[in-house]
Amino acid sequence: MGTMRKKTQVSFVIRDEEERQHKNGVSSLQLDAAQGRLYSAGRDGIIRVWSTANGLQDRYIQSMEHHTDWVNDIVLCCGGKNLISASSDTTVKVWNAPKGFCMSTLRTHKDYVRTLAYAKDKEQVASAGLDRAIFLWDVNTLTALTASNNTVTTSSLVGNKESIYSLAMNPPGTILVSGSTEKVLRVWDPRNCSRLMKLRGHADNVKALVVSKDGTQCVSGSSDGTIKLWSLSQQRCVSTIRVHTEAVWALLATENFTHIISGGRDRLVIITELRNPDNFLIVCEETAPILKLCFTADQQGIWVSTSESDIRCWKLPPLNSLNADMYNQSTYNTNNVFQLQPIHHIPGGPAIKHYTVLNDKRHIITKDTANNVAVYDVLKACKIEDLGEVNYEEEIKKRFKMIYVPNWFNVDLKTGMLTIHLGQDETDCLSAWVSAKEAGLTSEIDQKVNFGALLLQALLEHWNHVNRVNESGQKVMGNSFFSVPLHTPLIFSEVGGRTLYRLQVGDAGGETEGNLLNETVPPWVVDVAIEMSAPKLNKLPFYLLSHSSCQSKQDRQKKDRLVANDFIQCRKVAEHVVEKIVGGGDANGAGAGAGAGAGSGKGSANEDSGNDAPEERVELLCCDQVLDPNMDLRTVRHFIWKSNVEFTLHYRILKQ
Amino acid sequence: MSICQDLGLNFQQRMGANISQLERDIGSEQFPPNEHYFGLVNFGNTCYSNSVLQALYFCRPFREKVLEYKAKNKRTKETLLTCLADLFYSIATQKKKVGSIAPKKFIARLRKEKEEFDNYMQQDAHEFLNFLINHINEIILAERNQSTLKLQKNVSGESVTCNGTLPHSSEPTWVHEIFQGTLTSETRCLNCETVSSKDEHFFDLQVDVGQNTSITHCLKCFSDTETLCNDNKFKCDNCSSYQEAQKRMRVKKLPLILALHLKRFKYMEQYNRHIKVSHRVVFPLELRLFNTSDDAVNPDRLYDLVAVVVHCGSGPNRGHYISIVKSHGFWLLFDDDMVDKIDASAIEDFYGLTSDIQKSSETGYILFYQSRDASC
Repeated sequence: MGTMRKKTQVSFVIRDEEERQHKNGVSSLQLDAAQGRLYSAGRDGIIRVWSTANGLQDRYIQSMEHHTDWVNDIVLCCGGKNLISASSDTTVKVWNAPKGFCMSTLRTHKDYVRTLAYAKDKEQVASAGLDRAIFLWDVNTLTALTASNNTVTTSSLVGNKESIYSLAMNPPGTILVSGSTEKVLRVWDPRNCSRLMKLRGHADNVKALVVSKDGTQCVSGSSDGTIKLWSLSQQRCVSTIRVHTEAVWALLATENFTHIISGGRDRLVIITELRNPDNFLIVCEETAPILKLCFTADQQGIWVSTSESDIRCWKLPPLNSLNADMYNQSTYNTNNVFQLQPIHHIPGGPAIKHYTVLNDKRHIITKDTANNVAVYDVLKACKIEDLGEVNYEEEIKKRFKMIYVPNWFNVDLKTGMLTIHLGQDETDCLSAWVSAKEAGLTSEIDQKVNFGALLLQALLEHWNHVNRVNESGQKVMGNSFFSVPLHTPLIFSEVGGRTLYRLQVGDAGGETEGNLLNETVPPWVVDVAIEMSAPKLNKLPFYLLSHSSCQSKQDRQKKDRLVANDFIQCRKVAEHVVEKIVGGGDANGAGAGAGAGAGSGKGSANEDSGNDAPEERVELLCCDQVLDPNMDLRTVRHFIWKSNVEFTLHYRILKQ
Repeated sequence: MSICQDLGLNFQQRMGANISQLERDIGSEQFPPNEHYFGLVNFGNTCYSNSVLQALYFCRPFREKVLEYKAKNKRTKETLLTCLADLFYSIATQKKKVGSIAPKKFIARLRKEKEEFDNYMQQDAHEFLNFLINHINEIILAERNQSTLKLQKNVSGESVTCNGTLPHSSEPTWVHEIFQGTLTSETRCLNCETVSSKDEHFFDLQVDVGQNTSITHCLKCFSDTETLCNDNKFKCDNCSSYQEAQKRMRVKKLPLILALHLKRFKYMEQYNRHIKVSHRVVFPLELRLFNTSDDAVNPDRLYDLVAVVVHCGSGPNRGHYISIVKSHGFWLLFDDDMVDKIDASAIEDFYGLTSDIQKSSETGYILFYQSRDASC
């Protein structure tokens, strides 16, 4: 009650129909040993499934797409039948793992969901994140959810004071441990949701946790660079392992809890004997900070994911070989790294890291992590040119045009792909009116189009909305110029907040999708995309004076304040001067009425003048610079007047 | 008298007990040569200005620079700086050792310069200090630009457009040299743990006040880590997304004169107005900063308390401002046109109140600490 619902914005992702490679870091990994499948959770918002069979060139099986932000963690449950995922889009999703579709979405968290824990024996999953809450889910209840039976009860573990970055449960579900920026471990009994203890000792955030099967021991990895072994029965830290030089972000314990494998910001994977931490060995050195470790089926190797998009598999040393005699160097160098080459490699793709919106406010130039430069057309939601490894700054300069179009969209690179947001807040997506001819959409001279309206019409082209009828009773679908790719993900969300609904452009025609769209799409979008009402024109006030070089005594010296549409070309203003000031001398015509004349888009041009074009009779100046008749007013104001106040134009008569 | 009228100053020679009392308290033997203790007449709620001007007058490096400016700029257009320079000059050149003086021209100019001060209402002394320091600095910068332009015009014989060699707005002015310090804010993304830092300049540090604390504690709180979370996440360049982050501010360059503003006026929603926080905050006579960054230029600077602007009363728009200053080893209390010598031990009367019941209090509001290496 009382809290206003946040405004809804429309977003879409510009991408290929099939994205077979991760485009960003990989936060989590899960292995289905029985099926020979590896699941990877991408910061591109996509969970991908890979075959682990030997000797394959292309391991890609399928993508699981429904999240709209980073997927931070996944757990495979029910013997590989279901996958649960946690995302920065604040949802937890339940998937049919073999088929790869999303079965249900849990919206209980109020901020990024960072971490999951799984109690195999009880089929129970815990989720936690930046909203400080821990929820316990019964997987069998979750997988039984349907559209009509969609309420789920959950237990929550309360008392956390800060954001949670790690969780762990033992398989019987008798112990749950959480790690947070509070720097303490909190231990719970998930069976009755009671708090058992708080363990202090770390000096920074705790980002990785594992609990032994019997629930008596726990290992934690922290941003303070240490790994700690805790005795939960004695409620104390047993030992502190200092093998990393930077934050520890990933932990993996061997079957019988004798060894811990760790990775983190220093890019090293290290295996350490828990009871004798002097016995440790660097397994491999990755190319980026390590986010997740996962055993191969035979436990002889590990899959490693990092903040880059590649996933590699490395061979582990035999556990009995970790004695100090064999590898007794305590300093890091390539000589004491066990493996220099991975046994498997699943290559990832580059993430877009930089972008520049060109002056036409339609094209975007991007540069990715592999230094590839590309050009995108926002209006048509597609990539139009791959330029390869060229100079990014040069390409931007090369495409500079002296035109000014208002901002009408925001760009976001969080997934490594281009996400475009259309809203009505600081950036009004309906503010950009342009000449359809200039935009290359038609050859008709006087037609004006609104970028945001055209795009919204194309994005919702397939939605069977009841009001989609024009005056003559016919259905009007989309805009008359172009369509956007059918696979384009379309997302409705609260501005700067939670996702409400995601679908693909081509699926909007479905009945279920239609119903959900009816609930979600805000009225302002229905107005322009369905009812095809024309967005408001931007009026630009300006003063028109005769130039000092040709002032005569008859000239009015009072400043005429005029108002015109911001995209009006100087030619139209020249026409106005010819008609109302020079030509007629018709006293009634000047002033306010004239302003409206100049503003009426198609204008009442000069039907009777017949002879010279107005720009040959009158020239316009701004700041003493003669203006190109094709230049529009907002461009003149932006590039020549360079101010938002008292925009003033002068005219000079060339021919009477 | 005629000279004084030229300067726009009115003299009020107070005869009687006060003056002679101060001279008697100090003792003619001890009275420092070339020093003058003059009160400033109140023109109707102008104590916010009087108290700050007295504090600034006894910040020696500042006084010297203002008097130097006066000596160099014989007759220029009247600005707030020329008025200030005239006022300081007039105090410094009095025949009498003690007395009072009316800063009429300065106040008149101030009311012209800034609308907010153009009335007879009580103003916030810190707002005034902030305005004065910034305004003086702008005047110096503007005059410097003008003289460079003139110089260029003379050399080339024609007006030149500004090119890279001018104006030297990046070069510090004497105001910068005296009051400006640098803060560095370090932000660590909690996802990728990359630290990014940004420097910003300050003329004074504004610290929150806690009950029964000290300035050192307030400065520690000032540099406490703040977590950017919820709707206030940090846009991390490395992660290309909004993430939680930890941010802290530390001092990278310590100023010659450290001005500390105690945030004693807190906006209380339930009352819809600012309420005075009279908490007791101990300010030591000697101060060292501990909230300095690892790459600080001069982290070991030792500061001495030289002046305190004190607020007396219960709220920002009511009450009175006075100042206490240290001069040649004495502590003096300036209350508009009155000047008294006080005991150093009396300073603790201005720390604040330990009980929250009493509404009215006399509390240190702006503290001026001068670096010991400055007083040579």
